[in-house]
Amino acid sequence: MSDLLTFEGLSKAWFGVPAVSDLDYALRENSLLGVIGQNGAGKSTLMNMIGGIVQPSGGRMLWRGAPYAPQSAADASKVGIAFIHQELNLFTNLSVAENLYVDGFPRKFGIIDWAAINERTRSILQRLSLDDVEPSVKVGQLSPGERQLVEIARALHNEAQLIIFDEPTTSLTHRETERLFETIATLREEGRTIVYISHILGDVQSISDGIAVLRDGRLVDHGAAADFPVSRMIKSMIGRDLGGLFPPRSNQPDSDLILSARSIGQPGVLEKASIDVRKGEVLGLFGLMGAGRSELARVLFGLDPHATGDILLNGQPLTGGPRNRIAAGMAFVTENRREEGLMLDASIADNLALVSIDRFGRKPFALVDMEALSTRTEAMKAELSIKAGNIARQAAKTLSGGNQQKVVIGKWQMQSPKLFILDEPTRGVDVGAKYEIYTLVDRIAADGGGVLMISSELDELLGMADRIVVMNRGEVIGSVDRADFDREKLLAMAFREVTA
Amino acid sequence: MNLLKTTSAAAIVAAAAAFTGTGANAANICFAFQDLETEFWVAGHMAITTTLTEAGHTVLERNANEDANKQFEQIKDCIAQGVDAIIVIPQDGESAVTIVKEAQAADVPIAVFNRPPTDTSKGIVVVADNKTIAETAVDSIVEEALASAPADKTLNAIIIVGDLGDPNAVGRKDGFYAAINKHQDRFNVVEVASKWDAATALANLEAAVTANPEVDLLFTSSDFLFPTIRSVFEPRGLWKKRGEDGHVLMAGLDGDKTACQLIKEGYVDATGVQDLYFEADAALKGVLEAIENDEAQPNVLIEDPGFALTQANLATDEMKMWGCILLAGE
Amino acid sequence: MTTETARPSPLQRVSRILLSDYFVLYLSLAYVAALAPFYPVLLTPANISNVLSNMWPLLIVATGQTFVLAIAGIDLSQGAVIAVTSVICAMLIAVTGNEAVLGNAPIWGAVIDGDGGLLSGVTGGLAIAILAMVVAAALIGLLNGVAVAVFGMPAFMVTLVTMLVVSAFAIYLSMSENISGLPEAFIDLGKGDLVSVYFGAQEESKIPRKVIYSFVTYPMVIAIAVAVFAHYLLNRTVFGRYVFAIGSNIRNAQISGVPVRRIVVAIFVISAVCAAIASILYSARLEAGRPTLGAGTFLLDVIGATVIGGTSLFGGKAKIIWTFFGVLFFVLLSNTLNLMNLSAFQVDMVKGAVILAAALLDVLRTRITRETAR
Repeated sequence: MSDLLTFEGLSKAWFGVPAVSDLDYALRENSLLGVIGQNGAGKSTLMNMIGGIVQPSGGRMLWRGAPYAPQSAADASKVGIAFIHQELNLFTNLSVAENLYVDGFPRKFGIIDWAAINERTRSILQRLSLDDVEPSVKVGQLSPGERQLVEIARALHNEAQLIIFDEPTTSLTHRETERLFETIATLREEGRTIVYISHILGDVQSISDGIAVLRDGRLVDHGAAADFPVSRMIKSMIGRDLGGLFPPRSNQPDSDLILSARSIGQPGVLEKASIDVRKGEVLGLFGLMGAGRSELARVLFGLDPHATGDILLNGQPLTGGPRNRIAAGMAFVTENRREEGLMLDASIADNLALVSIDRFGRKPFALVDMEALSTRTEAMKAELSIKAGNIARQAAKTLSGGNQQKVVIGKWQMQSPKLFILDEPTRGVDVGAKYEIYTLVDRIAADGGGVLMISSELDELLGMADRIVVMNRGEVIGSVDRADFDREKLLAMAFREVTA
Repeated sequence: MNLLKTTSAAAIVAAAAAFTGTGANAANICFAFQDLETEFWVAGHMAITTTLTEAGHTVLERNANEDANKQFEQIKDCIAQGVDAIIVIPQDGESAVTIVKEAQAADVPIAVFNRPPTDTSKGIVVVADNKTIAETAVDSIVEEALASAPADKTLNAIIIVGDLGDPNAVGRKDGFYAAINKHQDRFNVVEVASKWDAATALANLEAAVTANPEVDLLFTSSDFLFPTIRSVFEPRGLWKKRGEDGHVLMAGLDGDKTACQLIKEGYVDATGVQDLYFEADAALKGVLEAIENDEAQPNVLIEDPGFALTQANLATDEMKMWGCILLAGE
Repeated sequence: MTTETARPSPLQRVSRILLSDYFVLYLSLAYVAALAPFYPVLLTPANISNVLSNMWPLLIVATGQTFVLAIAGIDLSQGAVIAVTSVICAMLIAVTGNEAVLGNAPIWGAVIDGDGGLLSGVTGGLAIAILAMVVAAALIGLLNGVAVAVFGMPAFMVTLVTMLVVSAFAIYLSMSENISGLPEAFIDLGKGDLVSVYFGAQEESKIPRKVIYSFVTYPMVIAIAVAVFAHYLLNRTVFGRYVFAIGSNIRNAQISGVPVRRIVVAIFVISAVCAAIASILYSARLEAGRPTLGAGTFLLDVIGATVIGGTSLFGGKAKIIWTFFGVLFFVLLSNTLNLMNLSAFQVDMVKGAVILAAALLDVLRTRITRETAR
């Protein structure tokens, strides 16, 4: 096998600060390379150089042995490189076929040759086992998984030789992920080369044949996937041994209840869901997509209404909206950090201050006590080790995913709440920051608070929870104590094959 | 049209030049007008600017777009620019008072053209005797209406009133009633508000005519509304020439080109005429004289007596009306 | 982050100026410096005094609009509020009434007659009338706010309807007539001087009025008081933090316990009350209650001045000081366009182009922040 794409001393610096330094690597034709690294390790910069979005400041690239210096995305697409991004680049208002041919429609006698377009689109979709999708269907009507396959179809249509996947599974269901991996296998059988970037290390391990690890812009480790267990990946990514993925839980839950939700019902959403969180407990809430986990969290926090049932916090019934819940001592980190958790353009300090700001208002005009506030936000930055410069000036959007999540948790911590609801707290967060968040969860519980931790990653619940409650279609299927944790059984419960 | 317009303007140039005699130093004159929504204002604007420019003065034009506050700010800007005099066509009578006060406080002579301030004692105020002009015009159609109607019949009369914030509109309305009240028992009067706005007039007139389909006589406070009246009357069979069955006796005020045409064709019976060129000339003379004599706050009220052009005097007096002069020039 | 370590390049210096709070002030100064040689009148005390006096009422209205824009809303009803409060005030405090003008108006006989308005001659009548303006405005703002916050209707639609209804009501009250005959004490609020200046030696015993220039006026004091109050409210109080939270990300604000509805309602009330205060100045300087105030292109001036200052139409980015400079620039623009002897149509075209440029600048600034954040 020959080399498809070669890097020779490839470097890129932004304002003198290196993002990628002195990278040497040869990507063999028809291989599947998994690329991993923490946020900011240089993956995006590297991909942008391959894609012609940014130009290297040193070194060079070779495509099939010939120098390759793309000046634009079009150059990359011309040699046969395609990108499948986390945020898809499809026109949702156009049909599948139009999306494939958006760069140029074939004509016959000056008229767009729709027959030929539809025939070819259909044959490409068939190769991707998308037989049930008509070329004329609008992309907006497709599921996220199907859209991803349409994006791959576009790559195939453009005769891409190298297909680069960047976090492709983030918005996919389990089944859709499986289907994607099958498709990737098919692509390789056709002789194509794949680069697969993901935070989900297990996936990378199982589908790749080679793995490359980036850290601080350098290629710090690479080798065959067979010799690359997840532990080695983590060690290479963060540069030290974490001693496991999860910190040990440092306390035992109390018997006192903090939260008690009894028979919460809302037609079509929740059915008599009951849930208890004890003092010092980390309660995991597991279920498949659409099981009603986030919906339950929103009801508990007073964002959505419920038709039946009571919610008690420390024995007191809760009424009203989020304001009352917050006053009673609840905190809610939602699953959509960017849409619901942050003011992206505002400073880190402003974000941290938001929930507790009225405590810093001095009477009679509620003028904010800037000094006290700044002391408190600085303390919170230190407490959560948020990696930022001047938090009063730096915008939240400049932070990495992990540090953004710390800010979201921090704005609640400013209030010292009694009950934390964490919905997918480590989504889009790299390994090192994940560990810090787990440590934080443990500390909240150790300080006597309660944590309701919702996750689709069963592993993190197994690692952190004292107890796991499983939901399916709005119902609570059962609860399993840490001593009885069993992956198979929890999954079976989530699919409702057994009840505990 | 341009030719005669220019010649008529040239006549004023001659008059102004004769007055300034030795050819006074070129002055900066600020000419602020509310907007030029009718023929009357367009012709007045034309007369004033051409005359001043041709006499070697600089004219700073300011159009307030019918915004009183904007006009106030424009006048203040003019004053700050150090103009020698101001001629203003105000948006309304109240703001005119404020504007005159502002100019006089800064020692800039000011003339108000045609639309007078509610307080006419300050500034050079050139105004038509709206009441008398309106009364004469309405008299002529009232007589004619009574002469042709059975003695016991009550006649329906419509008056389209202007914006009552404008003293001109008030004067014209008063003149109409002065004529009608001479035969109070014979008329049933319907008032239609126009706010000096064609669309408003259209809507209100339509409503009035629907409610009182029999119209014997109509007076519009301004000639510029004749096209609007036509669009309401024509489909109802009320737009007829003199002598045709169903002719409504109509009179207007201003003396514009359209009115001249309509009187000649026989659709309209009379119109009160403001002597546009006399008024423009008076305003110009007033401010130029003040500049000459270093008079900072000239106060004088100049009345334009005007006259009414009727079917009876059409043959003799036609060319005294500015609208007919413009029409003849086309 | 990475840029902090590097030495500032010329490009970075340019972007720093573009992002500065004082950018529009620099722009205004540069504009004046560029035009002054050609229009020496620009820098005369009389003209400066004019520019200032034209700034104050607009500043008050724009201050109210700034709050609404900060939550990504818009208030199109400010002009109508100015008109209706102008009529309300005048019909209460006018010292005379003219039946020929107002005889047909529904307020004739009920509120105002030949002897003036209900409160004419009443002790403290002026204060009560101003209170009535503020209350009327607050009610309109409340209506807007409730429709937007509680019923979730788009602000554009709600305030557009309010504008139509309220301005029609203002015209109905006086049947479109102006109400003149306002008391001196009220007129002073619109143009009374506190400190005037005279340049040059005193040669005669009496200095002619025209060389004395208003420097500190009632409108200036009122406008600056409103702006300073608004500045503190927006930047230093819990309320202000909530405003930005809603403007930046309303879902986040809701979840974080911001009393979203209350704040949104309060903002529309503030906007309307600012319009009412400006209405005092506009009515007083023109010495009449005027149902047609704030019509036409007035809204263009208000929103234009605010956006030129740098307040974003997308919410979350607003400062009163930006609005102050925006108003300054906008008034300077009008003033200079007048000096250039342009027609009203040309003036509006240039203004439109400048607002468009301001919107483009907003996009550019956003892009620079994004680039430097990389």
